[in-house]
Amino acid sequence: MNGPSASTHHTSPPLLELREIQVPGRSRPRLEGVSLQLAPGERVALLGASGAGKSTLLAVANGVLAPERGTVLWQGEPRARQAGRRRRQQARIGTLWQDLRLIEELSVQQNLNAARLAAWGWPRAVLNLLVPLESEACAMALQQVDLDPTLLSQPVTALSGGQRQRVALARLLRQQPSLLLADEPLASLDPRLAADLLDLLLRQAAAPRALLLSLHRPDLVAGFDRAIGLRAGRVLFDRPSHAVEPALLAELYAGES
Amino acid sequence: MRLALSRPAAPLLPLLPALVLLPMLLVLPALVHGGGWELIGQFAWAAITPSRDPLLLQSLLQGLGVTAGMALLGWALSLALGLMLGLASSRLLWRELCGTSLPAEAIRRLLALPRSIHELIWGLLLLQLLGQRPVVAVLAIAIPYGALVARVVSDLLDALPTGPLRALRAAGAAAPAALLTALGPPLLPGVISYGGYRLECALRSATLLGVFGLGGLGNELLLTLQSLQFQELWSGLWLLLALMLLLETAVGALRRRWAMPGRFGLRGTGPSRTGGRAQPEVGRRGRELLLAGLLLLPALLVVGQALAVQPAELLHWQPLPPVAPRGWADALALPWPGLVAGTLTLMLLAAGLAVGGAPLLLLLVAPWPWGRRVLQLLWALGRLWPPPLTALLLLFVLKPGVITAALALGFHNLGILGRLLLEGAEAAGPAAEQGLLAAGCGPRLALLYGRYSGLARSYLAYGAYRADVILRETVVVGLVAGTGLGSQLRESLSAFAWDQLAVLLLAYALLTLVGEDLSDRARRRLLGGA
Repeated sequence: MNGPSASTHHTSPPLLELREIQVPGRSRPRLEGVSLQLAPGERVALLGASGAGKSTLLAVANGVLAPERGTVLWQGEPRARQAGRRRRQQARIGTLWQDLRLIEELSVQQNLNAARLAAWGWPRAVLNLLVPLESEACAMALQQVDLDPTLLSQPVTALSGGQRQRVALARLLRQQPSLLLADEPLASLDPRLAADLLDLLLRQAAAPRALLLSLHRPDLVAGFDRAIGLRAGRVLFDRPSHAVEPALLAELYAGES
Repeated sequence: MRLALSRPAAPLLPLLPALVLLPMLLVLPALVHGGGWELIGQFAWAAITPSRDPLLLQSLLQGLGVTAGMALLGWALSLALGLMLGLASSRLLWRELCGTSLPAEAIRRLLALPRSIHELIWGLLLLQLLGQRPVVAVLAIAIPYGALVARVVSDLLDALPTGPLRALRAAGAAAPAALLTALGPPLLPGVISYGGYRLECALRSATLLGVFGLGGLGNELLLTLQSLQFQELWSGLWLLLALMLLLETAVGALRRRWAMPGRFGLRGTGPSRTGGRAQPEVGRRGRELLLAGLLLLPALLVVGQALAVQPAELLHWQPLPPVAPRGWADALALPWPGLVAGTLTLMLLAAGLAVGGAPLLLLLVAPWPWGRRVLQLLWALGRLWPPPLTALLLLFVLKPGVITAALALGFHNLGILGRLLLEGAEAAGPAAEQGLLAAGCGPRLALLYGRYSGLARSYLAYGAYRADVILRETVVVGLVAGTGLGSQLRESLSAFAWDQLAVLLLAYALLTLVGEDLSDRARRRLLGGA
């Protein structure tokens, strides 16, 4: 582990910093020597072919996967040792999962409130399973993602695919994280819904927040500030999104076995 | 905020039965009597200092062998009986072969009687009729188990899709050949999975029967407990635990190897543990099953020889003592409402403890990595200890009564349900829980919201089935309860009051049949509404 560097005393440290991350895999490393920084207000697209390591990188970034080597810093701090501090640290990291991870047996409102569990104690956590809690805040979260607040009492199983995506996003907002991570959130959406959702995400990621989003469609990269190309577990490029040229993309997606 | 209390959401459902703990905790202090804590301390200390006297170990191992042998023979016989009776009580089979399903209904009704009576009662009845013989325990296990297996087999059979059968029949195949081809293969996994589970149950039943003097290790466990030889008691318990865990591991490994459904999947829509597994090579499973069957037969003969089980003994009945002159009137004058109420209270308390206790305990230990291991050991001990032994142990510090009996019965079933809950939690998958943890949620709440949501319904459905089993098992702790049909039954048995016994058995059967029906309805609602 590297000691805390001088940069951690900077006025606003990067929301996320990865240094020389190494994650082993079966045949080749899933991530090798990956370093990147995410400053407040930055919206970064993560590009790469299937299996390039995008999901692994996001799993390292949200703390689910501990890298074999390398350092992960959130707001300049490494993973907290003490359980309570670690939970507060995790609560500032919001993830939009590829499989959404909605709790199918619960209503929309209960799912939205599940994002507050980090802050709530047992009484409210149990009460949430019995009565509708914080309906106004939940309704606002739904409005932010252009959903009708009347959906609050619906079970999530009754929603359409696009609505589920939005509920997952509303839950993310309800968590009030500072770092937003999203793993292929547009993969299963039709073009119009995908553009809408991306627009929502980009709007939500204004400073002091930041967004790191893995993307399988390089044509949508224009709205981002930066793009990072990942190939076979290594960073191929990391540059402003307007500087991502077709030749670079061709190299990124060039066939590999 | 709208304060209309809606139905509790899924994650809370598995915990609701644990509410019985509140009234129990309130009355518990009044039940504690002075002495005995020292004995409990000695008992606990003996757990880590069991006796290692070679002579004792030899005799314990012998007892364990007898118990295992009784379990194996009783189980094999029950499977054979159950398969035959199960086929005979299948509506589908009768309809295809004879055009009417009426005989199936009749056989089903008849089988309800042996099924509704606990193996211990069968054992004690047969003991009176046949005397102390090895064949008694085997038969005591085989009769109720056979009827249970028959019900499961016929239910599985009648629930199979009939499309393939229709197709074969339409193509001109004869009924027997079409039935065998279309229904045999899909029936097999369910039957084998359930059969493996029954073998685990048979070991527990054989131990219990031993406690009541029907042979094997159980009796030595009881004697050492009564004479306060805790170190010797623990030597026996650890041996039994080793055998039980070995058996459970072996059954689980075979189930996975043959890609059989887990127990959650057995009764409805629960998640399957083998869902994503690659199918084994074609035919391998069949060959291995055949081989296992062929190995089992000589093994059964050897075990039968070793235990000196002689089926011919079944023909030597002892004459029944005469019925007292006013016997029938006395039997009807028993305090029936009280007996039934006592039995039901005991069942509800024990079922609440077991069904609600398992998820509650799992939640409590969630933050600690070793917590789950400790629970697994505790639950294994719960499964292992026959409830009457736990009850005796509790009597060192508690007064006898329905609560003490419920604690003993609940602890035993907690072990069974806890193991099932862990299997279900693993099958439910880590995704939702991991998502919550990543958002900073604490480990307990992540478990509650993330895992319990998905398994709530199937777990409760199993809990409903278990409550029905517990109702039958109330007889086992009847003596300690001091109330209820179980204790009355034991009294009548030891007094040779056949008239009372007949009426009591009828009442018991009636009660358990109603219970079975209710639990079936609850289960269908839980699984159907998912």
